[in-house]
This record gives sequence, C-alpha cells and structure tokens, in this order.
Amino acid sequence: MSATVAPDSILRELAALWTQQGQQGDAGVLRACTMTLLVIAEAADDAAALGETVAALMPEHPARAILIRLQGEGERALSQRVYQQCWKPFGQRQQICCEQIEITASDAALADLPSVILPLAVPDLPVILWCRSARLVRRPEFGEIAGMATKVVIDSAAAGDSTDAIVCMADGVRSGGILADLAWTRLTRWRETLARVFENRDTLARLSEVDSVQVRFGPGYETAAWYLAAWAANALASVGQVVTPVISRQDESLRLELSGGTFRVELSRQEDRLVTVVNEQSNCTNLPRPTDYLLMREELGIVRRDAVFERTLASAARLAVSSSSGPS
Amino acid sequence: MLDSMPNENPFQDPLRFERQVPECVIVIFGANGDLTKRKLLPALYRLAFDRRLSAGFAIVGISRTPLSDDDFREKMRASVEQFSEDTKLDNDVWAAFARGLFYVSGDIGDAGLYQRLGEKLGQIESDRHTGGNALFYLSTQPSQYAPIAHGIGAAGLGKGSGWRRLVVEKPFGHDLASARELSDRLHEVFDETAVYRIDHYLGKETVQNILAFRFGNGIFEPLWNRRYVNHVQITGAEEIGVEGRGAYYQEAGALDDMIQNHLLQVMATIAMEPCASFEATSVRDERSKLLRSIHKMTPDEVRQNTVAGQYGPARIGGTDVPGFHQEAGVDANSRTDTYAAVTFFVDNWRWAGVPFYVRTGKRLAKRVSEIAIQFNTAPLHLFNQDSGETSVNLLILRIQPEEGISLKFLSKRPGSGMTLRPVSMDFNYGSSFGERSPSAYETLLLDAIVGDPTLYTRQDMVEASWSVVEPIQNAWREAKADFPNYAAGSWGPAAADEMLARRGHVWRKP
Repeated sequence: MSATVAPDSILRELAALWTQQGQQGDAGVLRACTMTLLVIAEAADDAAALGETVAALMPEHPARAILIRLQGEGERALSQRVYQQCWKPFGQRQQICCEQIEITASDAALADLPSVILPLAVPDLPVILWCRSARLVRRPEFGEIAGMATKVVIDSAAAGDSTDAIVCMADGVRSGGILADLAWTRLTRWRETLARVFENRDTLARLSEVDSVQVRFGPGYETAAWYLAAWAANALASVGQVVTPVISRQDESLRLELSGGTFRVELSRQEDRLVTVVNEQSNCTNLPRPTDYLLMREELGIVRRDAVFERTLASAARLAVSSSSGPS
Repeated sequence: MLDSMPNENPFQDPLRFERQVPECVIVIFGANGDLTKRKLLPALYRLAFDRRLSAGFAIVGISRTPLSDDDFREKMRASVEQFSEDTKLDNDVWAAFARGLFYVSGDIGDAGLYQRLGEKLGQIESDRHTGGNALFYLSTQPSQYAPIAHGIGAAGLGKGSGWRRLVVEKPFGHDLASARELSDRLHEVFDETAVYRIDHYLGKETVQNILAFRFGNGIFEPLWNRRYVNHVQITGAEEIGVEGRGAYYQEAGALDDMIQNHLLQVMATIAMEPCASFEATSVRDERSKLLRSIHKMTPDEVRQNTVAGQYGPARIGGTDVPGFHQEAGVDANSRTDTYAAVTFFVDNWRWAGVPFYVRTGKRLAKRVSEIAIQFNTAPLHLFNQDSGETSVNLLILRIQPEEGISLKFLSKRPGSGMTLRPVSMDFNYGSSFGERSPSAYETLLLDAIVGDPTLYTRQDMVEASWSVVEPIQNAWREAKADFPNYAAGSWGPAAADEMLARRGHVWRKP
C-alpha cells in the first residue's frame, strides 16, 4: 500500500472528473456543495452501509465528502481514491454531482491526516466531522483533526466508557467547540412527543403539579437516560419548578415519567412503538430505530450552537458523574 | 391553577422540532370545485403524508351536490391520485387521512346549511379533539364570499372555543370600492387578523427566497437602488389560453387577474425596504408601504406607460390555435385584455426614476415567471465586446418553471486578445438541493393553520394595489383598443416593445 497522499493530486483528479462529467450528455451537470463532510470510520465499519448513508445524505446536504478509513496498527500506510456521487432529482434532466474522496490511513499515518485534510476542505464552507471511531477520539491526533471542524458529531452511546465520553463532550463545549451527540439526536422523537403533550393548554396548565421526574433505562440506554432526565429537569426549571430527576435501571429499554398529585405523563419504548400515557389515556406511535442517515440528516441541518443541547449536556454530565460515583 | 400556567411550552425545541401544527378542522366551501380537487386536497394529503398535520385534523367539504361522507372520500381519493404531482397515494396514510374527511351538502344561501355545519363541527370537536379550531376556506365564486361569511356569522360559527379563521381566494373585489365593501362584509364576522387572503405566488419557494436573497446576504442590498439598478422587468407569461375559463376570464382580464395581485405582490417583495424583523406584521407593513409608494397614473400617463393586448388566432408548431374571441365561453365582441404591460414607478427615495416593467399574458411564447434586474452599464467600455452585446449585468430570479437565480456578467473569451462575452452563473433552486420543495398551497395552508399570515395579503395591501390599478382600468375602459393585436405564441403586442423602446430598453425573451 502507498504511504503518501498528495492533496494537490486529489484536487486535480476532482477537477478532471468535473470536466469529464461536463462533456457527457447535453443536459449538463450541476455542482452542488454546502459543506465538507469528513467521516472517520474504522476499517471494520461496514463500508457499503456507510457509503449508502453518505450517498443518501447528499441530496439534502450536498457536500464534498471525505471518508477516512482507519486501518489500525501495522505498517505506515496512506492511500486515496476519488469519485463522484451523482443523481437526477425527480423530474429533472440535469444531474447533480457531489465529490467523494476516500483516504485509508494506518495508525502510524494518523499524524499526517490533518495536513491532508486541510487543503481538501472546501474553502469558506463549514466542515462537519462525523467521527464513528471511539478509539480515535481517545488518541492525541483527534484534537488536531477536530480543531479543523466547524462541528464535531460523535456517538457517546457507542463509546466504551459513556460517562467519560459525555464528560469530555461537556468539556469540549465549555471550551467553545460545537459538538453533537447522536445519543441525544436519537431522543428528538421522544422529546417532540412530550412537547406535543404539553401543546394542549389544559395539560400545560397542569405542569405546575409536576414534582417528580423519573427515568428508568435498560442496557444500552444509559446516556439516553441522562440526557432525557437532564432535559426534562431543565425544561421544568425554566418555568420555575426545580425537580431533582431520579434515574434507575430496569430490565430493558427506556421510560420517562413526569408526575405529581393526580397528574402523570409517561413515555416508554415498546419494541418499535413509543407509548405515551397521559393520566391513564394512552396513545401509541410508530418509533422505528433511527438510522445513521436520519440522525446525521438532522445534525447536518444544524451548523450552529444548539443551546438546548448544550444546557442538557452540561446537566447530563453532572448526572453521569454523580450516578457513576454513587448508587443509582 | 391557570394563574401559574406557563405562557409557553418549556419542552419545545424549535431548532429541531417541526413547527407545531394545532388540531383543527378545515371547512372547504366549494368542495366539488376544481381548486379543491387540483390543489387543496393534494396539498393537504401531502402534508398528512409528511406527518405535518396533527392526529385529530379534519376536513369538512361543503357543496350543493348531495354526497355521503364516504362518497366524498372516494371523490377526494380520486383527486389526490390524479393531481398529486410528486406524491404516490399510500393506502395506510390515506386511510388515516380519510377518516378525518366529512361532507355537508347544501345551498350557501340556506341558513339550514350552517346549522348542519355547526352540528358537524361540534361532533368532530368531541370525536377528534380539534379544540374548537376551525379554518373556513372559501373556494367558491367571489360573489359568494360575503354571503358565506354572513351565514357563518349568523349561525354563530365565526366564534368558538378555539380560533376561527377565514381564507379567501382572489379576486378580492374588482376595484377599490368593491374590495373595501368585501372587506367590510367579511369584517362583520371575522377580524382582519382572522382573514387570510391567499395569493399563491407568495407561497412559492423562490418568492420567499427573494427575501432570503436580499436580506440574508450582505452583497446585494447595497446595489438594490436607483444608483445601480437601471430597470426591472417582471414577467408572468402563460403559454396556454383561457382553457375553459373563458367566461370568468373575460370578466377579469390580465390586468385584474395577474397584475393587481400576483405581480404587484412580487414587485413589492423585490422593492420593499428591509423589515425590522421577520415577523408577519413587519414584513407585511413593508410590502404595504411599497405598494402605497407606487405612482398612480394620470390618464395621459396611462396612455404612455401601459399596453393592453388580446391574442388572435395563430398556427403554433403545426397546430391551429384559436384567438381569444374563438375560445369557448368568450363573447365574440369581448374587449377583455389577455395581455397587459405596465411601466410602474415607485415614488420613494430608493427607486425614484427606475422603471418597473411588468407584463403578463395568455398564449405567449412560453410559460415563464421571472424577475430580471438590469444593472447600469460600466461607465467606460475598455474592452472589445462580442458584437451585439453590451456590458449588461442582469440578475434573474426565476419563479417558474425552474426556480432559481442567474447572474449574467462579462468574461474574457479564451485565447489571445481581450474580447469579452457574456456568461451566466446559474443557481437552480430545485436541483441544488435534492430535497423536494413544498407546493405553494402546502406552505400557505400550513401557515394559515399555525396562524402565520406573513405570506398572506392584508386589506391595506389589497386596497393599495387596487388604487394603482384602478386608473389603468378606467383609462382602458374609455380607450378604443384595436384587438386582437398579438398572435398567439408571440411575446405580445408591438406596442409593448415600443413602450420600452421609448426609454431605450427592450423586453427580455426569457
């Protein structure tokens, strides 16, 4: 395997691809780009599925995609290939194309990555880093790569130590970075459903009765539980109700309960459904497991600070630390 | 308990959540009409398909034809299947949507109709928890607007436990006096804040994008004035004729049907001052101020600055195309304008002296709606330019068919020597983002349901535009036009070209 990558030659290859595309067909090619999407994944990560996810994101978030595949230990290796992702929107003759660059790097070559990525990022547009490798986040090279990004997206639920991950993220936000956590993004439907419950004025009027927030979670839902509890408590605090959330383990899945007096709202996942109970009246909606595509689609639409997330992250980090240091 | 109730839902997260759509029922008067079948139902179904409507959402169709709820559902299903341009009918989504479809038959002049409607609304409110919210949509002949509003008010349906709103389609009157009278009649039942006058042009993505383009970017607004803009051309051209609407069209004409509403609204969006915020009142205030600033013409100015036209028969692409007089339902002696071109001036500091050429017509060379802003030429011609081309910078905002923005400028021709040629830098709105754009009716219906009137026309805007158009109407009524004066398939009467030539300008051929 080659051990060098010349950004200049990658850019020349890209230019040649555009020229070639422009010479094909009479309807022309439209070049669209709103950002640089930098995806870092382990070699073991399903390449085909990841490619499909990135391709699916392009119509809504046209980008120059730079996919970095980490080869792990072994000889120093760095290689690249360049290609285009093209599609024809419904009813249109003109093709839209986005650029994709794939770079393979062994651990020994990680230190070289920033110097390769920097010239490849599209000038004047945001750079979004989606880091799927929990291993890389803990390596010293990550800081320099993340420093080039406008926004960094990680998944604390996939980290080996989720407490450490969430605390690190909170530190990152405190020091000015724009971060996103797919563990939080997975809760959007939950949060939206709860918000809808309180869109009803009668239910909203009963919010003042709420004096308890309980979250119960099963394996794999620990980070989600911290986020959900922190978010609910913060929202209640914003209207003057200070409630300390109680988080406890259960056998499976996730459950949120807001209650007080004769009023109770409960949200729980039951297989692929989200069940909402408001004072014994229940409603059930479809809640399929969010795919990487859906999660990233949402995150790529927000290239700025997300105040609700950042407040929640700070509170969730405190909950994580307190629950890991004491009995839950 | 209500004293301690928070004003706002603390769980909302507007950055991530879809806009909250309240439970409501839409009552469509004219439920068997073309607009309902072609536009309203497909738009509402698409909103349901995209999960933008609340679970309890309901529609009550009203028309004279006796139909059961199930018959109505079947008819509407057929309409959605036929007229949804880019949405396939999904059986599960349709089944849930159809459960919220109801029908009440009756004559709009019959008080019993409104009583039955009231009973139906009560039943829906209790079954589907619509919270008493109701949107009345008048998709009927304009002459029926006032009687329907009266019927709604007399039956006590103009007020309820939730909000009540009224959506009316153009035309909003046929002159200033009738527009005022219509508003007065509607206001007997609905406050102005509850009256939503729909202008589907304003719901188009590109028209909304004009605001983003002008006020979201720092580079264009400094050029957006009389110092840099030479003139503006606004075109709303249709390739088709009156297509079965002859009887209606000969009462309206191009000036009333297009310029008084759609194109003047577009002009207001192009020329308005920046608003202090993107709140409905702020945006509408600025549009209204611009409309009030348009110079009202004297009869003499009307002769100089307007051209009426009517198409005659022609042969287009091997097919004989009838003239307006030969169209079904059209009086053989009709003097109705099927083409109108007007030079407007805006009497304000920003635009004084800049002509705004606005034209519209039936059976023109192609279907296109666009705004072309022509900037002043460079003060000195330093280079050899390709023959016939001057150093014209044009900014073109295309509304349809392919929504987008183009900027025309000069570039050096490759090779030795310094010869320039014009090039066009294109941004295609629909295809730069692969995501589907909502139709104008989807946007506007959702806005009405959530109570956002930004893209709707207010009474003062309607009156301001009639004040501008009325002197033209009056002068044209007295003039003896020599119709037909343009062939179907052309770009309109020669007199329209002469109107621009007097100021050294030419119409674009988009």
